[in-house]
Amino acid sequence: MDEVLLSVSDFVALTNQTLEYAYPVVQVEGEVAEFKVIQNKWVSFKLKDDGAIVSCFTGLFQMRIPLEDGMKVIVIASPRLNNKGFFTLNLKAVKPVGEGSIKKGFELLKAKLEKEGLFAPERKRMLPRVPTRIAVVASTESAGYADFVKIINERWGGLDVEVAHTQVQGIPAPDQMIRAIRYFNSLEVLPEVLVIIRGGGSAEDLSTFNDEPLVRAIAESRIPTLVGVGHEVDHTLADMVSDVRAATPTNAAQILVPDKNEIIRSARAQANSVGYLLTQAIDNYSRQTKENLQVAFQRIQQKLDDTFDQLGVLRVVVAQLNPENVLKRGYALIRGDQKVGSVIEIETFKTSIKAEVQDVRNK
Amino acid sequence: MSETSSKDKTVQGKLTELSELVGWFQGASFKLEDALGKFKQAEALAEEIEKDLTKLKNDIKIVKKKFDSED
Repeated sequence: MDEVLLSVSDFVALTNQTLEYAYPVVQVEGEVAEFKVIQNKWVSFKLKDDGAIVSCFTGLFQMRIPLEDGMKVIVIASPRLNNKGFFTLNLKAVKPVGEGSIKKGFELLKAKLEKEGLFAPERKRMLPRVPTRIAVVASTESAGYADFVKIINERWGGLDVEVAHTQVQGIPAPDQMIRAIRYFNSLEVLPEVLVIIRGGGSAEDLSTFNDEPLVRAIAESRIPTLVGVGHEVDHTLADMVSDVRAATPTNAAQILVPDKNEIIRSARAQANSVGYLLTQAIDNYSRQTKENLQVAFQRIQQKLDDTFDQLGVLRVVVAQLNPENVLKRGYALIRGDQKVGSVIEIETFKTSIKAEVQDVRNK
Repeated sequence: MSETSSKDKTVQGKLTELSELVGWFQGASFKLEDALGKFKQAEALAEEIEKDLTKLKNDIKIVKKKFDSED
């Protein structure tokens, strides 16, 4: 090679060819420094450690999470020597590493999306109480997915579930999930709920769900979304932007469908309550009828009592008018003509006397 | 509220009908003459709901499309 004379352009081309052959893609871990966005199109920064520094370059659209100087990242890149003689890493992907950097990236993107109103409560849509068509984005090999399926089968039946199998961690995962979300949103008949689930994992594993394009795809979904990622304590931007957040895949299944055993119990209780209401109504009617009869009897009794009272009074009056009672008091009843010589009949209480009239005088 | 419970109704439809029947018993249109019929209807609905929910299975399909690259 030392005998071959190369032009500068040929040398650069040969170097790039060699790099491409030897290191088509490299993963390099380092700290971000001199981070810059150029013309709102390009991103450049330096990746450094204690002993060295290297330039990195990419398009702004390829940035999946905001960066800041001092963040630790892994870049997936192709090494290139450009025509101006600068060695750069042309980035394919960048992901924060270490708890601090992941948290920093999360906070930066959260603030950005919050400013755009993506987490606003008024954007949240309700899920149907009992959906029949459900779309799921998950890794069908994961324990989280198995838990989800087990719980929905235990809780409800008759569901039509379509599952898009995607990776749920690693560099390709966000794009796969975005494609799955778009696929379900492009169906002629939309599913009623779009469920995105993933079981627990490290902060780095779950950082897939803090990917900006993925979070935006969830926000843009025409289908109401239910996201259950990680464990109770894990919060990702994907679940914050979703219509309904579930703490875990199991919890997503519990939110998605009611428990059929509870529904059966409730239906039985409703039928029993109707029976109780019927018995109560019959009792009420019967009591009311008894009360009405009692009132009627009381009124009849009252009327009878009044009549008997009146009768008693009349009896006393009649008794007082009886001539025998007058005779008892010593009076006498005289029958016959009151003229001299006539024979008259005199009736006392105890005797009946015939007498002749001897004298008649006016008083 | 429909007077007859239909076997073609969904579980949700049957649940709604059952709730309406309970409402009828508690409402102003309650008539003792009709109550026994409605009670029998409610019992039959509860039984149908239980049967439906017990026998229904979920249909879970994995989408054949691959999502690892743009088509």
